[in-house]
Amino acid sequence: MNVHPILATLRRHKTAAGLIALEIALSCAIVSNAVFLIGDRLDRIRQPSGLAEAELVHFQLVGITRVEDPEAQAAEDIAALRAVPGVRSVATVNQIPFGNSSWYSSLNLEPEQQNPTMQVTTYVGSEDLLETMGLSLVSGRDFVPEEYVEFQQAQSDPEVVIPAVIVSRAVADRLFPGENPLGRSVYVWGAAPQRIVGVVEHLAKPNDIGGPSSEHTSVLMPVSAPVQYGINYLVRVDAGRRDGVLEEGVAALEAVNPSRIVLEDRTRTFEAFRDDYFQDDRAMAWLLVGVCVALLVVTALGIVGLASFWVQQRTRQIGIRRALGATRGQIIGYFQTENFLIATIGIAAGMVLAYAINGALMGRYELPRLPWYYLPLGAVVLWTLGQLSVLGPALRAAAVPPAVATRSV
Amino acid sequence: MLGYYLDLALRSLRRNKALTALMVVAIALGIGASMTTLTVFYVLSGDPVPGKSDRLFFVQMDPQDMNGYTPGVEPPEQVTRLDAETLLRDGRGVRQALMAGGSVAIEPDREDLRPFYLRARYTSKDLFEMFDVPLRYGSAWGDAEDGDRARVAVISAALNDRLFDGADSTGGSIRLNQTTFRIVGVLDEWRPAPRFYDLTGTQYGEVEEVFLPFSTSRELSMSFSGNMSCWERYQGDQTESGAPCTWMQYWVELASPADAADYRAYLVNYYEQQSAAGRFERPTNVRLRDLMTWLEFKQVVPSDVRLQTWLAFAFLLVCLINTVGLLLAKFLRRSGEIGVRRALGASRRDILVQFLVEATVVGLAGGVLGLGLAWLGLWAVRQQPASYADLASLDPVMLATTFGLALAAGVLAGLLPAWRACRITPAIQLKSQ
Amino acid sequence: MLHMQDVSKVYRTELVETHALRHFDIAVDEGEFVAVTGPSGSGKTTFLNIAGLLEDFTDGSYRLDGVEVRSLDDAARSRLRNEKVGFIFQGFNLIPDLNLFDNVDVPLRYRRMPAAERRRRIETALERVGLASRMKHYPSELSGGQQQRAAIARALAGEPRLLLADEPTGNLDSQMARDVMELLEALNAQGSTIVMVTHDLELAARAQRNIYIIDGQVSDLDLAEAAARPLVAAREA
Repeated sequence: MNVHPILATLRRHKTAAGLIALEIALSCAIVSNAVFLIGDRLDRIRQPSGLAEAELVHFQLVGITRVEDPEAQAAEDIAALRAVPGVRSVATVNQIPFGNSSWYSSLNLEPEQQNPTMQVTTYVGSEDLLETMGLSLVSGRDFVPEEYVEFQQAQSDPEVVIPAVIVSRAVADRLFPGENPLGRSVYVWGAAPQRIVGVVEHLAKPNDIGGPSSEHTSVLMPVSAPVQYGINYLVRVDAGRRDGVLEEGVAALEAVNPSRIVLEDRTRTFEAFRDDYFQDDRAMAWLLVGVCVALLVVTALGIVGLASFWVQQRTRQIGIRRALGATRGQIIGYFQTENFLIATIGIAAGMVLAYAINGALMGRYELPRLPWYYLPLGAVVLWTLGQLSVLGPALRAAAVPPAVATRSV
Repeated sequence: MLGYYLDLALRSLRRNKALTALMVVAIALGIGASMTTLTVFYVLSGDPVPGKSDRLFFVQMDPQDMNGYTPGVEPPEQVTRLDAETLLRDGRGVRQALMAGGSVAIEPDREDLRPFYLRARYTSKDLFEMFDVPLRYGSAWGDAEDGDRARVAVISAALNDRLFDGADSTGGSIRLNQTTFRIVGVLDEWRPAPRFYDLTGTQYGEVEEVFLPFSTSRELSMSFSGNMSCWERYQGDQTESGAPCTWMQYWVELASPADAADYRAYLVNYYEQQSAAGRFERPTNVRLRDLMTWLEFKQVVPSDVRLQTWLAFAFLLVCLINTVGLLLAKFLRRSGEIGVRRALGASRRDILVQFLVEATVVGLAGGVLGLGLAWLGLWAVRQQPASYADLASLDPVMLATTFGLALAAGVLAGLLPAWRACRITPAIQLKSQ
Repeated sequence: MLHMQDVSKVYRTELVETHALRHFDIAVDEGEFVAVTGPSGSGKTTFLNIAGLLEDFTDGSYRLDGVEVRSLDDAARSRLRNEKVGFIFQGFNLIPDLNLFDNVDVPLRYRRMPAAERRRRIETALERVGLASRMKHYPSELSGGQQQRAAIARALAGEPRLLLADEPTGNLDSQMARDVMELLEALNAQGSTIVMVTHDLELAARAQRNIYIIDGQVSDLDLAEAAARPLVAAREA
């Protein structure tokens, strides 16, 4: 196809062609960023917690009356929960991933450090916690019973030493990149250091404090969970028994002490917590999908509308071309090439714009740079969209009979 | 004359029904999307205490030790109990209140209700008057109750409905944490957005269900619920007055915005005294922000909502460009008619107005349809789990904005095409192409 | 009525300057019926455009009904055109979306005339051209001759002082052309000043006065001779 006459014609319709190119540019820029954002959200929604998610349920209770010996009551609760059929292990815990309520602590490498090395979230709980969560140890070991400290003591007695800590791989990589973290000392709790005894693959945080750059910066400490005011139990069960255990578990706990309130919105399967936690992200991803579709549809309709106009406007000219020997295919080719040229200009401008928008988003949302392969991808999508949109009008143009040329106005 | 143009516009729009529909739908989609997100944005960024937010100030001061200090660092969001109580005692504002969130167990005096947990706010008495809190029944408690650690409570309308079926319950009692409290007041509907006075939790959630004197809550060791930040270990209850922990909010109402400088000077003076006494270690670091400045600083409007608003307006822009292109094609196709009209005595202005009217009709039709879409969109937002979901609805201001936006969209979309149309020279011979 | 003195019109593009009219002088008195002839490209259309205030000119002076046109802005020209000039086009130029009534209405609308007055004038004008019964018809439903009569009605409705006709019969067959010409003559007899551009010398001969334009100037040729020579040529062909 000879491009020259098409360019000459376009030059005479600069404004209209420019508007379509601008529309394509904006669509290209917005859609590529939106798709990128959707990917980012999906990654977030799919991030591993490190836990055996399909096998976990969570109970939370708060007392109405003051209990004389909360530790003893907790032991009774655990025994009662263990007796529920399908329960494999039970642990008290202070917080769970995606559970929102959280403990944070600063982590130092030196005893009297002026500025903390990093902020970490601290998981504590009873001796079976690691096993119950189903965390996978990359190296090292679980805590041994001698290492455990009572929460009350750890909180109030400055002489108490918490000897060990298990860190997530994210923490280990940040503190000791390329080195073996086992046996190294860190200061998380108290004046005495903790030695790293184990590293777990993943351990997600309860919430997003600290932003995406501090994902999975979690540690586990051999400290019992507090039991005075409220108490949380994490229970690992056979996957099929989750609902049953929730129901029977509540009954078992009420049997231990009826004057407590089971917090319904926090007594659920782990998956329910996860679903809730990422609901906004899911909604945002769907919204972005909707915007992309709407944008592409509007752009396509714009191309159809304008191309139809041009076909109508040039009916006589098309007739003359046909009379001079142009085939239908050549007429279709003419309009498709024209659309291809406009789309190309739009796409080129759109890519520049896409990077500009991405730059603005990077600052605001801690997003990475738009990967390069979005560019050819976006280009192909918009070229295809343009070609499909212009096909209808082009076919109509091809149907113009050559006799139009001889007809008077 | 406008009637004539309107008539011409409708004729022309009727002639190309598919094209007209396309333009109207494109504008409607753009306006629907932008009005949905703009309404959410508007609702979330509103003034929660209209009329006096410029006289309400949020107090911050930095009581931490030198660990982790960097010059210019923002003081903690909350204050220590000791500082809050001292400032309250000084009472340098017209009104002031210290407050913190909590949770209490309630044992309803009804057979059909099991015990449940309530979100509570422990506060000194000025909160109600200071924030213009509407009361349906009764009144807030007074200085005496604060001083006596009285067992009094103000409950929310929702709780009053639940426990007393909406009847006037003042003078009645409720059992909280196994202690009997006398109800002195019942709130009317109060849904400040955001829940500005404590932004550490759910920022657009509903207000607490029960308000108790702070002094009472401490005497009864009622449990605290919220963010607490301690800079060193403390042996004992971290909610005690001397604990090195920030966990309370302190608000002050001044007689006029101009008094802020005096109050700030007072805070600086207080800080320096504390430093001199050795309690504070850092260089003087206090903040006093009025309500709206504080909300802006905290960027309370969720970033997703901002992003959605930008996205919707970008979408509207694309829809507008689409319409500009189609109108341009449409108008220029009528260059024959324009030439004749010009020859018959239409001035450029006449042509400009004629075509602007046509574009505006498209814009307004799009606006009306867009309003429907926005209404649908907001309905969809209300189905979302977000804490602000129930706030999303159109009010007269947004209704007017929608029509303004539709009108502007129409005129804007029509401006370039109509301008080009009116530059067409009057012609005696119509060119066929 | 129409006085042009020393009028020049130069079209400039990047490459060339074309003198469409140079030192053009013409005067048409009230009540005259003047035919303007000349070969293609001689400047006939440019003359008509300038006479009808559709185009600006580069130099000289043009007085229409006593008003100096030069230096008027677009709005003033448009008003003058609307009130003083009626156009009859070769291609009729009826607006296809409007029926006859609304087509004739167009110039009156721009005069901001009250509705009753407009209606009266439209009906009178259509009656004068014999189309009163076709008021609600659209241009596409009419023959070429009817369309041109409707266009004449539109030109008349504003009661212009000057009628400018551009090849008014160019798109019509001979019977219709005769009808239209008779209509113009009748209008002239009733007092309308008419300037008609045509290349049909037979038609031109029916006007009271002929002006021959060549190379953008009024020719010095003897009018009768100018009229006769192409006529001979036409007969030979």
